[in-house]
Amino acid sequence: MEPMKEVILMSKLKAITKKREFRTFLFLVIIFVIVGMVNSEFLSINNLQNSLKSSLLYIVLAIGLTFVLLTGNIDISVGGTLGLSAAVSGLILKNGGSIIVAILVAVLIGALIGFINGIGVAKLNISSFIMTLGMLEITRVIQVIYTKGQWVENLPTTFKQISQVKIFGLNLLIIIVAIGVILVQMYLSKSEKGRYFSAIGDNTDGAILLGVPVQRYKIYSFVISGICAAIAGLIFASQIGFISTTAGMGIEMTVIASAVLGGVSLSGGVGTVVGASIGAVIMISINSALVYMKIPAFWNDAISGSLLITIVVADALMARRSNKNIKKERLRARVLKPEEVVTHAHAK
Amino acid sequence: MHMLSKIPKWNLALVLVLVSEVIIFGLINPRFWNVSILLGSFNDFIGIAVIGFFVTFVMITGGIDISGGSIIGLTSVVVGILSQVVGINIWLSILLALVVAGLCGLLNGILIAYGRVQAMVITLGGMLLYSGIAVVIVGLSGVSASEGISGFSQSFSTIAYGSVMGIPNSVILFVVLLIIAYILLHLSKYGRYIFLTGINQEAAEYAGINTKLVILSTYVLSGLSAGFAGIMLTSYLGSARADFGGEYLMPILTVVVLGGTLITGGKGGVIGTALASIIVGFLQIGMQMGGLSTQYIGLATGLLLIISVAILSVSDEFKSNVKRIVRLKSYKG
Repeated sequence: MEPMKEVILMSKLKAITKKREFRTFLFLVIIFVIVGMVNSEFLSINNLQNSLKSSLLYIVLAIGLTFVLLTGNIDISVGGTLGLSAAVSGLILKNGGSIIVAILVAVLIGALIGFINGIGVAKLNISSFIMTLGMLEITRVIQVIYTKGQWVENLPTTFKQISQVKIFGLNLLIIIVAIGVILVQMYLSKSEKGRYFSAIGDNTDGAILLGVPVQRYKIYSFVISGICAAIAGLIFASQIGFISTTAGMGIEMTVIASAVLGGVSLSGGVGTVVGASIGAVIMISINSALVYMKIPAFWNDAISGSLLITIVVADALMARRSNKNIKKERLRARVLKPEEVVTHAHAK
Repeated sequence: MHMLSKIPKWNLALVLVLVSEVIIFGLINPRFWNVSILLGSFNDFIGIAVIGFFVTFVMITGGIDISGGSIIGLTSVVVGILSQVVGINIWLSILLALVVAGLCGLLNGILIAYGRVQAMVITLGGMLLYSGIAVVIVGLSGVSASEGISGFSQSFSTIAYGSVMGIPNSVILFVVLLIIAYILLHLSKYGRYIFLTGINQEAAEYAGINTKLVILSTYVLSGLSAGFAGIMLTSYLGSARADFGGEYLMPILTVVVLGGTLITGGKGGVIGTALASIIVGFLQIGMQMGGLSTQYIGLATGLLLIISVAILSVSDEFKSNVKRIVRLKSYKG
């Protein structure tokens, strides 16, 4: 029995190494090893935890965005949702409201914005890119109007401390988010309803034929993305301690880049939450990696931009190559006895 | 009447919106009816309009280009560094900056057309990369990033502030580039190829059109137009900075989509884009003159964007539904 188990284990390991997420993870490890060789302090537990801590809100945003991307849509409005919900709940906290109320209000705002996005995309057939781009602009303006153009500062310390709580030396939020990623991944890949999302993105007409409530699940995906953006806004407020009028500006592009780095396809149907999260950690680690390698911070965007392009193009080329091989094998399978066919052709 | 029916209904609607906009803002503040102020305001949105013309090309092929804003910043920095720090002649610097902008578009185009990667992803990476390169150039040259490079010659500032026979240069550039774009897209064979590629790339390929080259060329044009916009903006503001054009993404896409170009490709036109960019541009001055805070402009353009797309997509559906009902009735009758 023992060798059998080993074989199964080996084949399982092999399957894992073939996954796109594994390659992303390998890439992350390589970055850490290279930077670690230049400056060993980069690999200290403290820095690793800091890297994870600063990528937390990006991971949360990436989770939500993955739902939307799986259905073949895109959500550009996450930065605006993050800013607005953080500002509103920040003002509640500042005026002496309880933390629970602030969190509930933030989640409600996120859900509402997501719902409006979803209605626009699923019911009114507006392209998701345009719908959420417009929504981004609208939420930003509403945030400025609501806060009267001022920063929300002096948040209560009890709220700020939430991001500092530690259990067994590990940041509590890191543990919660890590568990969240695993649970969402299980839901998306194992449960029937969870698989609806990628089914819609893979083949919408097919999903309709299978009885998947396509419109409803598209709306769900935007609502989930909105809620995740609101939670990210709360993490942002707790970690930074104040909310500027430009909070979360440009964050959407980083998150989309993270998801793409992690192997989530923008055309839908393909991708995992785990991959998107690893992508987010890579995008954020580049920041601190530059600091530890004593490279000026202004290289940041150029490096992440070229990295994104390189990885995506390499990925596309690799995918095409494997597709070609599959096609070849399929063609070979159609010919039962290749030699006979050849001799037959010659005889003719 | 025959001529009128040839004008697309959407463009007619845009003209109506533009006219009523001018009337309403003029009633609120009569200064708005001052022609020289209106023509002078072209400087504020010339970049959006010019990039919009050629992003229209890209969108008709079924692609998208969101890197235009960062190419503006890169062109601006290249012109500034070459002319002010390196000390090259200003006109040669402009030419070289345009080459850089074209190369950015070329890189986008090669990867999208021949690498067959999604346009959104590549131009997103391009957006990070090009503005990143601009920031790196500024950082390496030791110029203060917040102040930018200034001290341009008088002749350079006449690009934006000069005028010919009372018409500001920005208006002339607007009209000239609109005519070029119109001829390319609506009167030439090349334009037909762009539409055919957008409607059905495979069919166009079978018809002997080099669709990859067509797609590639649209991104080069879009990059070049962003270069023009960058030079105009640098001349207008009198300094070169890496973050110029950073907030252009939204207005560029707004004018293209509001102009009636389908984001899914195959349908659209530059006249609509031109009208939409004037509408959005006048909206900004009108709101400023009407005493509204500039914050609300984002709200207005955001709503305009969503509503126009909703009307465009719903009206298509509505039309086909009406046709189906009419057909059913004629069968029964």
